Amino acid sequence: MTDAIHIRGLVKSFGPKRALDEFDLSVASGEVHGFLGPNGAGKSTTIRVLLGLLRADSGDVSLLGGDPWKDSVSLHRRLAYVPGDVNLWPNLSGGEAIDVLGRLRGGLDPSRRNELIERFELDPRVKGRAYSKGNRQKVALVAALAADTELYLMDEPTSGLDPLMEAVFQQVVREIADEGRTVLLSSHILAQVEVLCRRVTIIRAGKAVQSGSLEELRSLRRTTVTAALRDTDGAIGALEGAAGVHNLQRHDGHLTLDIDTPSLGDVLARLTTFGVHSLTAHPPTLEDLFLREYSDELATLGVVEGSR
Amino acid sequence: MTALADAPSRVEPRSGALSGTRALVRVALRLDRFRTIIWAASVGLLVLMSMNALNTRYATPESQQARATLISSPAATALAGPGYGLDDYTIGAMTANEIGLWIMIPVAIMALLAVTRHLRAAEEDGRLELVRSAPVGRDAPVVAGLVAAFVATLAVGLVTFAGLVAGGLEVTGSAALAGGVVMVGFVFAGVSAVASQLTAQARAASSLSMAVLGVTFLLRAVGDVRGPQSTSVLTWLSPFGWAQATAAYVDTRFWPLAIGLVVTAVLVGVAFVLVGRRDAGTGLLPERLGRPSASPRLTGMVALTSRRQLGAILSWGTGIVLMGGFVGLLAGALVDFIADEPSLADMFPTGPNGAAAGALALYTVFLAVTTGAYAATALGAARAEEVATRGAAVLALPVSRWRWLGSQAAVAGVASVLIMLVTGLVMGVTAASSLDGGVDVAELVGAAAVTLPAVGCMLGLAVLLVGLAPGAFGLIWAYVTYVFVVGLFGALLPDGADALSPFAYTPQLPAEPMDWAPVIVLTLVASSLVVAGLAAFRRRDVIG
Repeated sequence: MTDAIHIRGLVKSFGPKRALDEFDLSVASGEVHGFLGPNGAGKSTTIRVLLGLLRADSGDVSLLGGDPWKDSVSLHRRLAYVPGDVNLWPNLSGGEAIDVLGRLRGGLDPSRRNELIERFELDPRVKGRAYSKGNRQKVALVAALAADTELYLMDEPTSGLDPLMEAVFQQVVREIADEGRTVLLSSHILAQVEVLCRRVTIIRAGKAVQSGSLEELRSLRRTTVTAALRDTDGAIGALEGAAGVHNLQRHDGHLTLDIDTPSLGDVLARLTTFGVHSLTAHPPTLEDLFLREYSDELATLGVVEGSR
Repeated sequence: MTALADAPSRVEPRSGALSGTRALVRVALRLDRFRTIIWAASVGLLVLMSMNALNTRYATPESQQARATLISSPAATALAGPGYGLDDYTIGAMTANEIGLWIMIPVAIMALLAVTRHLRAAEEDGRLELVRSAPVGRDAPVVAGLVAAFVATLAVGLVTFAGLVAGGLEVTGSAALAGGVVMVGFVFAGVSAVASQLTAQARAASSLSMAVLGVTFLLRAVGDVRGPQSTSVLTWLSPFGWAQATAAYVDTRFWPLAIGLVVTAVLVGVAFVLVGRRDAGTGLLPERLGRPSASPRLTGMVALTSRRQLGAILSWGTGIVLMGGFVGLLAGALVDFIADEPSLADMFPTGPNGAAAGALALYTVFLAVTTGAYAATALGAARAEEVATRGAAVLALPVSRWRWLGSQAAVAGVASVLIMLVTGLVMGVTAASSLDGGVDVAELVGAAAVTLPAVGCMLGLAVLLVGLAPGAFGLIWAYVTYVFVVGLFGALLPDGADALSPFAYTPQLPAEPMDWAPVIVLTLVASSLVVAGLAAFRRRDVIG
């Protein structure tokens, strides 16, 4: 299977500021790829380069096998875009905006359009100037999702949506993914990415700092174990400084520790010798992975890790 | 007891609908300070330049009387005033009758925009919600917005007064004329305060207030044409009519200003009542719903652009065509005027076809420059589409850069052509009626058509700025102003000052004979500018 998106060494500067600095990204055809990073890390700049709105300073960018800058019109027939901050024409209704965008694409399926309007509970008669932020977002979602395309570029597509609509969005994305379409989902709603995406890329200051499947990323990280033991002191004595063990702590008579994935079996076997009453283990969440990449920044912001 | 009295009071003593007013007034005045200075300076300059022009042009009683004859024609009266002192048409009478209205209109617009900006736009953007969550009463923001508009109006009024006196006019009459300007500003601040309670959008509120301005302008115009010296009831239905009824410098009286002040007080009172009757963020008029789906005709970039631009095309077009009609109606009076006062003939291009043709040619250029200004706003709207990221939303579809900007330029171009041709037609018909023959309608349509390549050059420059230097798009307004000034005052400026204006090369029909060479060259220049602008747009980053 070829890559729907393939970026190597992409550089884009705005004046003296390097928004993208040797950035790499690969999205395979048919996958839902999470694109994570805080505001200003370069997510939107990447998507705008992919849309041919911005011209790359250097690096290789290939989108659906074409050059997003030179072949933009023919590539745009095969993709749909949801911006994160939607501005509508003030004197056009939401329904008119959806139709105008759909017709500029070359036509849209009215039954699919109406189905999406219903599912997102959008009133298409309201004028663009009178919509709330969340409803403007719904207009952009309906316009993009009604398009029958192989690739969807979504830049924080659900900002301003309530949790019910967020659930509808996730359902629709699952459906288009089941049909084998590719989605690049830029987001900072980590729960959304964790549910929808099998592979993620984390961007920081214009560089990709992590990329891979969630499984792979998790295996690079530690599992947190909380256990109630018969002999807590004994366990602390035995495991203190043991290979693969971190953050060993006593909490209300419970023992908590983080274990490196390769040492997991070993450490658990030793724990059982201290008489386990109860035990919970959870793999690192995406939030843990994400915040780990930004741990130094959190420290500068005065946030202590683990105290969140 | 003593301890209690000494303890700092925790509850603000004022907790009514007006609490926080003083702080909000300070904020509003601070937000407006540069705007107010610019308005006052511009109006001051307008007054000084007008006074200077009148003092030099109409230095003799003969020329003043010639002017009185010209201005007493119905078409001129509609654009001037009720005509006090026409039998002894001093500079003062002339100023009050002809200049006053054109100071009042911008001041009215300034005041009504200030009120919608402070009241409605702040509420629309959610700023007012933040302010109202502080201990601020419901009426306080309304008071603050009105005070800001009143202060700006008074500042402009003072500058007007100073300009009139500096121009050599007597103090009492100047006070009445400047007082009229202030009164009109106050009335339209009141109108806008009421409109701001009716609609939920600042733009709709200012459009509503502008509509009231347009209607009251027409009432005075029709009233003054039907009954000179404020004898028609219609004149008395308009704030402009009250202001001009002061008969400044002729038979100065101040009592008509009181009508405006009473009306302002009533309007402000109504606005306060309405504020108490509506929810924050809403208007009293219901928001109309649109179509649930687009009509089949709304397909493609040209249709989308036409729909977006329809309001602008109609309002600019109506204004320009009406001006053309007035110019045609005035042509007859102008010919008499120039015959009475040959020293004034150098204002107009002379040619084989005489004074009327010269005047019509000059005004055709003026109308064409105005059409070019419309074209510039249309390209400014394209740039605004990009800044609002709606451009990116469309360019993410299979729509090329060429098509996106080219369609918008094409709509502006076609609208400009239509506006100029209709203007030429209307001007031709009205001129033929006022001149008793001697003017060929087709000739004036041709005169309008021959200016189109120059209009195209202005449009082309705007396209080039959008494509090449979008951040510097404001420069187009400097260029429009330049073309306007050299077009109207070219005869008074040093040779070559108009070298950069395309209208300097356009044959001025019907005063001059037709010359195809410059028309062809200008067409080529305009096309090259458009193509260069589109090519540059293809190459640059687009705001996402």
